[in-house]
Amino acid sequence: MKKLLAVVLALAMLLSMVSLAGAEEVQEITWMFWDDLEASSDLITQGFKQVIDRFNEDYAGKYHVTPITTQLEPYYTDLNALVDAQKTPDVFIVSPGPNLTDYVAPGIAAPLDEYLADGWKDTFAGDAVFAQQTYDGKIYAIPLNTAAACVFYNKEIFEAAGATVPTTYTELLDACEKIKAYGKTPITISAGTAWCLSMLAGYLCDREGVDLKALNNNEASWVNEKTIAAGEKLVELSQYFQETAAGDSNDDATTALYMEDAAILIQGSWAIGQMNGGNPDFEAKCGVFQFPAIEGANDPNRIIAKSDSLAMSSTTKYPEACIALMKYFTDDTAQKYTAEVGGKIPVTKVEYDASKAPAQLADVMKIFGNASATFGFYNESLVSSDAGSYFDDQMVAIFQKEKTPEEAFQAVQDWYQEYFAKQAEKAE
Amino acid sequence: MTAVTAKTKIKESKPKLKTSTVLIYVLFAFLVILYIAPIVWIGITSLKTRPEIYKDPFGLPGELQWENYSFAWNAGKLGTAMLNSLFVCVVTLIGTMLFGSMAAFAIGRMKWKLSGAAMMYILVGMMIPVHCVLIPLFVRFAGMGLDNNLWGLILPYLTFSLPTCVYIMTGFFRSIPNELLESACIDGCSIYKTFYSICLPLSKTGLFVTGLMTFIGNWNELLLAMVFIHDDTKKTLPVAVTKFVSPYQTNYEKMFPAILIAIIPSIIVYSLFSNQIVDGLTQGAVKG
Amino acid sequence: MEKLLRNKTAIILFMAPTLILFTAILLVPIVTSFYYALCDYDKATRAYSFIGFENFSKMFKDPIFWISIKNSLFFLVFSCISQLIFGMLYAALLTNINKGRNFFKNTIYMPCVLSSAALGLLWAFVFHAKVGINTLLAGVGIKGPGWLYDIKGFITLPMWVIAFVALWQYVGQSMMLYMAQISGISKSLYEASYIDGATKTKSFWHITLPLIKPMVGTAMSLNAIGSLKFFDLIYSMLGDKTTNLKMDVLATFLYRSGFSSKGGNHYGYASAIGVVLVALCLLSTFVINKVFKTENYEM
Repeated sequence: MKKLLAVVLALAMLLSMVSLAGAEEVQEITWMFWDDLEASSDLITQGFKQVIDRFNEDYAGKYHVTPITTQLEPYYTDLNALVDAQKTPDVFIVSPGPNLTDYVAPGIAAPLDEYLADGWKDTFAGDAVFAQQTYDGKIYAIPLNTAAACVFYNKEIFEAAGATVPTTYTELLDACEKIKAYGKTPITISAGTAWCLSMLAGYLCDREGVDLKALNNNEASWVNEKTIAAGEKLVELSQYFQETAAGDSNDDATTALYMEDAAILIQGSWAIGQMNGGNPDFEAKCGVFQFPAIEGANDPNRIIAKSDSLAMSSTTKYPEACIALMKYFTDDTAQKYTAEVGGKIPVTKVEYDASKAPAQLADVMKIFGNASATFGFYNESLVSSDAGSYFDDQMVAIFQKEKTPEEAFQAVQDWYQEYFAKQAEKAE
Repeated sequence: MTAVTAKTKIKESKPKLKTSTVLIYVLFAFLVILYIAPIVWIGITSLKTRPEIYKDPFGLPGELQWENYSFAWNAGKLGTAMLNSLFVCVVTLIGTMLFGSMAAFAIGRMKWKLSGAAMMYILVGMMIPVHCVLIPLFVRFAGMGLDNNLWGLILPYLTFSLPTCVYIMTGFFRSIPNELLESACIDGCSIYKTFYSICLPLSKTGLFVTGLMTFIGNWNELLLAMVFIHDDTKKTLPVAVTKFVSPYQTNYEKMFPAILIAIIPSIIVYSLFSNQIVDGLTQGAVKG
Repeated sequence: MEKLLRNKTAIILFMAPTLILFTAILLVPIVTSFYYALCDYDKATRAYSFIGFENFSKMFKDPIFWISIKNSLFFLVFSCISQLIFGMLYAALLTNINKGRNFFKNTIYMPCVLSSAALGLLWAFVFHAKVGINTLLAGVGIKGPGWLYDIKGFITLPMWVIAFVALWQYVGQSMMLYMAQISGISKSLYEASYIDGATKTKSFWHITLPLIKPMVGTAMSLNAIGSLKFFDLIYSMLGDKTTNLKMDVLATFLYRSGFSSKGGNHYGYASAIGVVLVALCLLSTFVINKVFKTENYEM
């Protein structure tokens, strides 16, 4: 036993020494990400792994990047811990919105305009892709891909149930009714993973014409007929959810669609890879439409879009290496992968092979191309990241019938009042 | 239960196969199934493909998917995680036994005014859950470079394992007869030698018990390991297992092999030495 | 001899590592944590500002806090009572059989040495809505309940499920504690009682029970502290769903407030929860010791 122990300890020491050797001269940088590169079956994650491997191979002896991976749940906490310890990762992923603001405002993320000026910026699809990453005219993060939230549906079930693709909310209800009568679950959604339900709530609010800007500027109240109408529609739709919606994770909900138990899933286009990977037969049966209009209310061509973005630490020792790495994420190989395999919309002008890309991507691109405007996830568009998670919780409370829409939005309003009061106090 | 106790009323002292005994065996057979079936089921499920899991969760796998295991092993870096866990636990184990018995010796056998107070101080530590020092430790360690560092786990593990160790070892040292120490003294042993070559060997049982408790407790620890370590190559086994729950999807068919790989060594060691382990841990709990 | 045992240098040497560790890793952090509890931590500037008892008043108004308290206390009471009953029952029954006793007790004890995180993931799958035992139930025509998401009732179903999983995992420990105590009871006591005409049941009530009472105190305080610290199982079974399912216990509430991306990074607030947790741990140990130890002396 003792001998075994000694051998094991010696091995452990040897291993750590080996990893220390040969670290000289190469510019070592770190890159932080919220999913495990090896264990994940997420296609975008797997694509990122390829980028990292490619970078380390091509720049062997010059630059080297070490990924720091964690999980989504504790991601920002871990990142903050590193920042506190003055070991900010040189490059890190961050969601646009209040999360990015948390790193831009204290100067943790560096402005990137000077590096973009060498023609890199021209490779991007347009200036608009930087909209959510720009603060006071300066770009603080590089978008890697765009995902649009759409409605995925099972064409076969729709046809068999005699349902048609809905363009309005009333038609959506009608389709659901028919699918229900046909004996399948109309809508599969995850309320266990709160942001999924919250995404539907966000769409309903926006279709009703809720003015988020006014709310965030403390110029309006969350309790108004538009928000309440959205809340009521959420309750109305919930009768068509799968029975297990309350406990299902995002994964469970998506699985129900591609295992053909349910007909409709409202989800970001990143789910395409997961669906086709989970059940290859499903690709041909899967259709996509844009979230239906609410008659007589807001512009129905607005869609929810989200991009993963990379920020660079303002204290990095090797900005050239960081930029080189970021460029690898937005080069043609990576962006082609994004479209053809990952099923997300590329951010650059890259030409990809549409026949290789999943069938659904073309539909998503069409919807994205027709969009009059994009807006972010509600929980990432509020005054702070805490406000976002509070909003999510309230939407779940509406769904669980814990609270009426009035009560829930009143709670959000109270939260906002307290927040603004605190901000005013701080300003003094 | 009432049925069982009622049956035992049939008074008989010499063993024949009584109804009550049969009932007891039935009950425990049922319990054994309750304890083993979930693990067996996971074993079966771990060899399936994802669609098989969803379509027929209780069926047998069509084609055995052994590559689930190699995937879990490689992707979860379970080998590294095991080495990390082993390193952390072994260092903590040695540290706890060494420091703990030293302090226990000073408190239990040596004569000084504040020994009672020192014991109290250490015992209060037994009642403090580790959660309560999580945040200050996290903040401080982050500033000292001990975050994302296995030593940052070892220090709190060591500290939180010490009270039980000190408590149990104090009891053992106190039970050593005075004459033994006196004869050692006459032989000219120094206090260190008395401790090391007389008292420690006499308290082997205590060392075994505390060592066992320390090792098992820390081997399974999740919260600190999860919060303090973010580098993939430094994760311990319990954290590595939870890795398969990713933001967008849970990889059941990959997670179950990982779970099994993580618990099977424990199960094997346990089944080989179960009597000693159970008795040791029970003694520890009684004394702690 | 006396001189040897009063060797100051030796005492200092022996005590130093333990005391230093205790002070640095336990005392100082606890004091810091009490101070943090009175502070507001600003995510953006990473600074603490003193705000008095504001965290506590906010906490007492927070419904999630009360849910956590309710759930934590439920776990505490449930695990104390259920482990007492089942632990003692198994122990009493097992001492009545000889063949296979070791096998049974070792099997029941086994989960105690395994990782709760791994076992939690396993049980989450067993109770999974789509692939778990509900599919078995559906096979015989029974519609299974929402084991892990039904949130109706004062103590919700998932709470019971997790409490039973915890019982499953840890009952072996209580069982062994009682068995150790029972096997310590002299056989002659039982023989004497049989001669007096007592039945086995009677001798259980009149001999076994009174004699293992002190162990009840030990087992209970272990259960109590264990259930207040309860984190691994619930975290691995429910992940980030705890809050929306009203399933938070103090430990997960603390974790979420302090470390989760979702509403996390409130170190001050989380520290305040930590203070409550310490207070509850000390209180419950105190109460249990008071109840059981005094009776012990009276005997």
